[in-house]
Order: sequence, then C-alpha cells, then structure tokens
Amino acid sequence: MSFREKSAWISFVLVGLVFAAYFFPMASGELRGARQLHWYLLVTIAFIVLEVVLHIVLALQSPRDAKTPKDERERLIELKATRIAFWVLMTGALLSILTIHLGAEAGLLATHVFLAVVFAELVKFASQIVFYRRGV
Amino acid sequence: MGGHAIRNRIRQLRFDHEEMTQQDLADRIGVTRQTVNAIELGKYSPSLEVAFRIAAVFGVPLDQVFQHEEK
Repeated sequence: MSFREKSAWISFVLVGLVFAAYFFPMASGELRGARQLHWYLLVTIAFIVLEVVLHIVLALQSPRDAKTPKDERERLIELKATRIAFWVLMTGALLSILTIHLGAEAGLLATHVFLAVVFAELVKFASQIVFYRRGV
Repeated sequence: MGGHAIRNRIRQLRFDHEEMTQQDLADRIGVTRQTVNAIELGKYSPSLEVAFRIAAVFGVPLDQVFQHEEK
C-alpha cells in the first residue's frame, strides 16, 4: 500500500471517528448551547492533532515516499475524489438550507452544514481509496 | 461503439533490460512505484508525456510499449 493510500485511510478513519464523536451525542440530545460549541471545538482540535501526529508517524516510516511530490496519477485521483465530494457537499448544503423552512434554528442549521462537510470529506477519502485500489 | 483497451509490454521490457525494477523505472520517468505498477496492470493509462518517457527509457518506439486493442 502506497504512502498516499495509507494517508487516505488515516484521514478516512479519523473523519469517521469525528463523525461518530460529534454527531452521536448531538443526536441523543446530550449537547446543547455552549456545551455544543465546546464539544465542536474539542473534536475539531483532536482531529487536527491526530491527523498531524499520525501523518508524522507515517512519514517517519517511509520518508522517501513522504518527500516525493504527487505524480499525475495521484493528482488525478485527488481531483476525481474531490469532484465527487463537491457534489455531496453541494447537496448537503442545499438540504441544510431547506431545513430552515422546516423550522430549524441557527444551531441546528450549523450542525446540518457541519454534517454535510464531514460526510463530503468521508466520501472524498473513500473515493480516493477506491481509486487507489481499483484504478482510475 | 465497441470498447477498447490499452495493453502494454512494460513488464517484458523491464525484464529485457537487466530485470529493471519498478522503482528504477519509476525514478527514471518521475512517478511513484505504485503508478508504474498500476500502468503495468492496466489500472491507469498514463499521459502521453509519461508514455513517451517510458518508451525513451527502453529505447523503443511508443507502439512497442503500448498497444490499443478493440474489445
């Protein structure tokens, strides 16, 4: 497995963990108001720290691959995955706007938009993994 | 309109050139080893630029590396 495929797996798993850590307490109604904001900040910071630490570990394991610039196939995979994720994000954003008309408040709207962003990221990394495995 | 496939002889050409490794070829054409492997397996069709670089490494015309076939 290449360095960049491993990187996509790390990001996919971490985004999935963020998804679970943030949205399950939200869905169960445990987080409201300021606690919601604190949890959002905590989860986001934890995600960034884990991304950086795990990618440093990965780079130390294969320093040569980490230093090699992305080649044309890797750039194509990134572009195609981002394109798919863009449509997921657009759909999620438009659906989020619709929830206003169903009576959603600002806090809930923010949660819906964050959900769309996280889901789009999950789709992006999953697409990258599929393209690395099956070809592009 | 029928489908098409691009076949290649890179594995054979590497073997004929002192069993050149995928990493050696990758270094000479400026891509990763995984990309060379993907090209060999037909999972990725390289750009013309990379295709010509591969042919240049082996010192053969392009059509001796890649062949276009109707399915």
